[in-house]
Amino acid sequence: MIEPNVGGQYFAPGSGAVIELDRPPADRSTQQRRATWYRQPALMSGLVITAIILGLAIAAPLLTSYNPIAQNLNDTLQGPSAHHLLGTDQLGRDTLTRLLYGARVDLRVGFIAVLFPFCLGTILGSLAGYFGGWADLVIMRLVDVVVAFPFYVLLIALVFVLGPGEKSIYIAITIVGWVSYARLVRAEILVAKRQEYVLAAQGGGLSNLRIMGRHLLPNVISQGIVYAMSDIVQDILAIVTLGYFGLGIPPPTAEWGSMINDGQNFLTTHWQLTTIPGLAVVVVGLGLSLIGDGLADLLRPGQ
Amino acid sequence: MTYRTHALKALTAIGALVLMAGCGSGGSSTGGTGGTGGSAGAPVHGGNLVIARTADSQSMNATTVFDNESIWIFEQIMQPLYTVTPNGKGVMPWLATSYTVSPDKKTYTFTLRKGVKFSNGKPMTSADVKFSIDQNTKATKGWGFINTAIKSVSAPTPGTVAVHLKYPWAPLLADLSLFANGIVPANYGGETENQFYTHPVGTGPFKWGYWHKGSALKLVRNPLYWQHGKPYLNSVTWTDVPNDNTRELQLKGGQAQIDEFPAWSTVASLKSTQGVTMNLFNSTQTNYLAFNELRKPFQDVHVRRAISLAINRKALVKAVLFGNGKPANSLFPPQVPFYQQSTPGLQYNLAAAKQEMAKSSVPHGFSTVMLIPAGNSDYLTIATIVQSELKPLGINVKIQQLDVNVANTDEQSLKYDMTLTLWTMDIADPDELATFAVDPKSGAKSFFTAYNNPQVVKDTHAAQRTLSTTQRQSLYNFVQSQSAHDAFMAYLYYSPYPYATSTKVHGFFVTPLGNYHMENVWLSK
Amino acid sequence: MSFVGRRLLQLVPVAVGVTIVVFFMIHLIPGDPARTILQQHATPRAIAELHREWGLDRPLISQYWLFLDRLAHANLGQSLIYGVSAASLIWQRLPATLWLIIYASVLAVLISVPLAMIAATRKDGIRDHVVRAVPLLGLGMPPFWVGFLLIYGFGITFKVFPVGGYGTGLTGHLHAMFLPALTVAIALAPVVIRSLRASMLSVLGADYITTARSKGVPARRLFVRHVLRNAVIPAITVLGINIGFLIGGTVIIENVFAIPGIGQLMINSIFQRDFPVVQGVTLVFAVLVVLVNLLADMTYAALDPRVSFDR
Repeated sequence: MIEPNVGGQYFAPGSGAVIELDRPPADRSTQQRRATWYRQPALMSGLVITAIILGLAIAAPLLTSYNPIAQNLNDTLQGPSAHHLLGTDQLGRDTLTRLLYGARVDLRVGFIAVLFPFCLGTILGSLAGYFGGWADLVIMRLVDVVVAFPFYVLLIALVFVLGPGEKSIYIAITIVGWVSYARLVRAEILVAKRQEYVLAAQGGGLSNLRIMGRHLLPNVISQGIVYAMSDIVQDILAIVTLGYFGLGIPPPTAEWGSMINDGQNFLTTHWQLTTIPGLAVVVVGLGLSLIGDGLADLLRPGQ
Repeated sequence: MTYRTHALKALTAIGALVLMAGCGSGGSSTGGTGGTGGSAGAPVHGGNLVIARTADSQSMNATTVFDNESIWIFEQIMQPLYTVTPNGKGVMPWLATSYTVSPDKKTYTFTLRKGVKFSNGKPMTSADVKFSIDQNTKATKGWGFINTAIKSVSAPTPGTVAVHLKYPWAPLLADLSLFANGIVPANYGGETENQFYTHPVGTGPFKWGYWHKGSALKLVRNPLYWQHGKPYLNSVTWTDVPNDNTRELQLKGGQAQIDEFPAWSTVASLKSTQGVTMNLFNSTQTNYLAFNELRKPFQDVHVRRAISLAINRKALVKAVLFGNGKPANSLFPPQVPFYQQSTPGLQYNLAAAKQEMAKSSVPHGFSTVMLIPAGNSDYLTIATIVQSELKPLGINVKIQQLDVNVANTDEQSLKYDMTLTLWTMDIADPDELATFAVDPKSGAKSFFTAYNNPQVVKDTHAAQRTLSTTQRQSLYNFVQSQSAHDAFMAYLYYSPYPYATSTKVHGFFVTPLGNYHMENVWLSK
Repeated sequence: MSFVGRRLLQLVPVAVGVTIVVFFMIHLIPGDPARTILQQHATPRAIAELHREWGLDRPLISQYWLFLDRLAHANLGQSLIYGVSAASLIWQRLPATLWLIIYASVLAVLISVPLAMIAATRKDGIRDHVVRAVPLLGLGMPPFWVGFLLIYGFGITFKVFPVGGYGTGLTGHLHAMFLPALTVAIALAPVVIRSLRASMLSVLGADYITTARSKGVPARRLFVRHVLRNAVIPAITVLGINIGFLIGGTVIIENVFAIPGIGQLMINSIFQRDFPVVQGVTLVFAVLVVLVNLLADMTYAALDPRVSFDR
């Protein structure tokens, strides 16, 4: 999903219009902001939650002795027990083990899947916002065409063409997902480029590239990062949806999306199979969203 | 509830045994008497039945469509001359009542049932029958192939039809009982073929209601139906509910009275649910693992046998079907005529598997890809299990899930290593399966495996031309035994047709071919 | 040229772009609709016959021209699988999806506005944190989860709503579509609440509000007249932007609740390679998305006189 940039500025989709509201000037110095980051409850709790999950994922081999893909057809669909703390799935694989190893896959895929659209979108958005004119026109029309497609439909069609697998998922998500970042960054730059320091730099003869890279980007990138936090969760959910159509991460890799989908068949008899990995997704989502919220609060001027 | 289910199953089994004797001319003109709601009093007239099914139909054109969700619907409207018996092993008179054969076995003369009318009031005559069969023969992109032995059809009198064959042909009655040879009004009653099939007219118990694509298809009672007193129901509505869980909940909540194909994992809990009958009807469905002999090393019989021996079918039945099925031992399923019980289909034996590998061209194993269509969780489970069962042989299997369409294309153009596949009979004669599965010159190139054993092919053709049942049995015995030995496919398991029905539903019975007769169904209050 | 006129004109290159992409994409994906129909009985002869019937044996470019030509006469072609006009299929299935989207949007706003108000007026208090955190749970939950939870709760345990289906008639639809719409609304709510809260906060902090308060204008009137009005704008933006995601994302909801919607039609058509239907549905989507965004922008312009459009 796309959210409007939470800094107090809203942009109209499609037209590239920028609607500005009264925006109180930033009155806290960067130094002061950095000093109070750890006082933000949202940010802190988000960081803690995410750190715990990361830790669990990294420590997976230490926490469980089972192999995540080892089947045991005599022990299928067991409930929680001393041997299997969270029970087993329909092929007798230990749920807790698959959960922990699945965290590795999902977190990795989630982060990487956000990285490419972030980079591509930021670059294109900066170009459109800074240079305006033809660059802006072409890029925004491209945005329109991509946005006009229903997200999942385009995603599914692309993964079809490229064949299912992790690489295809990255490519497909990049092609579809760069749009949000482009718009965010463009909107920020449209405002930022009229600031005094930029005009000064331009007057001083600095090259455009330098201005964009050194001065503008670091200030506008924060919005992209905030958005990226919730985007990671959206991408993890996108993998679940893709798995629904058989286009997710191929078996037998332990991964929350495939666990949720496999478990759906047992919704009425062993509902924990689909609920437990679902809960994992929710917790990760919570952690990342809190980080995003906290960052947004931190960066909102005049609060 | 459990006791009742056992009783019902016993009744069904006994009913099937009793009817097993009947085939050919004679036999009763009612449909099966087994099925749901054994002893519940006299049938109640009226009521609207809702069946929640997995997917929508594609088209009502009986001659061109291969999709079950379409076939099972229009079978309630258009009827053939003969229909399959409840045990699936023979045929019984339906719109024809008897036949005679010429001495050279090339002309069959059928006497049509008297007093049969189409739902629009017009009487059915031999002109309609000739038109209908000819239309199917012309359907080269559809079921025309089933009429391959028919030279021509003539209508000597309004009440008789003669079918002239090119050569003696044992499966003729079974072929004529296929839905594609169902009887429609001559010249489609003045409409074009496409127009006609948007609201087909037939002699069947139900006539066209409406079709809201993707949502529901409704048929209503035909008051002119030739079986007096039937159908009992006022209407039948098939609703499209693709999600297994939702169908189950709709049945439990009373929104639907029949749940088509509940998930295997829910069968046990449905059996013990109040107000629900969990039916497992005998079927002709068989699941196989196919090997492409055009790809190395599958041309090597030792490799194929090794793989087949390494698969624990009992474990598959347990993990995939949750015990609702049995390991397969033959190319043919038990419900097909001429099935050989003693066929030595390979079963789990890891030691023997390793021996075969040692004798093979790749004793140290190899890497290969198993192609399966995406979105099929049963196939995924089978593939995952087989993947792990082949590891001890040194065979590394990568599972490739492709979009259904692409998977079919690759499979049918023999661009795969191994793939999962299945078969259900369309007629009560093994010929359709045999030709499809072992004849490399048939359109399917031996079930897309390129399997070629000349003796097996020869016997398959011979069994088509002889009318002697003992001869056909011995020919098909050889076909089954030899193909089991050649292990051109690994026969995995036989599974039933699962239908969960409300206890209010009576008379619902599914033949081993998968179709059902809604004229026998009634709803108690 | 007026703003609306300019935007509608922009529809054209977008629509053309979309049709080109979809047409070539769907034709270049491997797969053949003839296989969908023929299944295991696909002989080369049968395939060739179907291709001839459907015009698929002609070169791709000429197929594209035929498609454009038909489009110019408002003809989307015939479904290869169903054999009926693609337009009629789409027309039949569109209402259900529109119901879902609009109903979900309304519910989302109804849920979000009061919650955002609580959060904004009690900033940094317990209530604020709770309102901000709890909906985040909805953000991560897989939709079919939420869907089945609701079905179990209100369809089976308390038989208040039917289990899936679309219903008949206005009251039928309102009844049957409540649970699926709620499922979507729960996923939308966190995003809407966050932006509503943010914009309410910035409006609350604005000078003209402080001035009005100091002048004694009652809080409620202030809220409804100014805060709410200005805060609703971003909520509309959010909904408008998300239409694209919503339309595709309803596929799973449509599947779980057995709603005969466009999402299912689209996905099934892709799987079955029903080219005309895929092309038709995508085009309809594209137009819908652009129109909805236009509507959102126009609502802005109506609600907020400060809106400026610079290029």
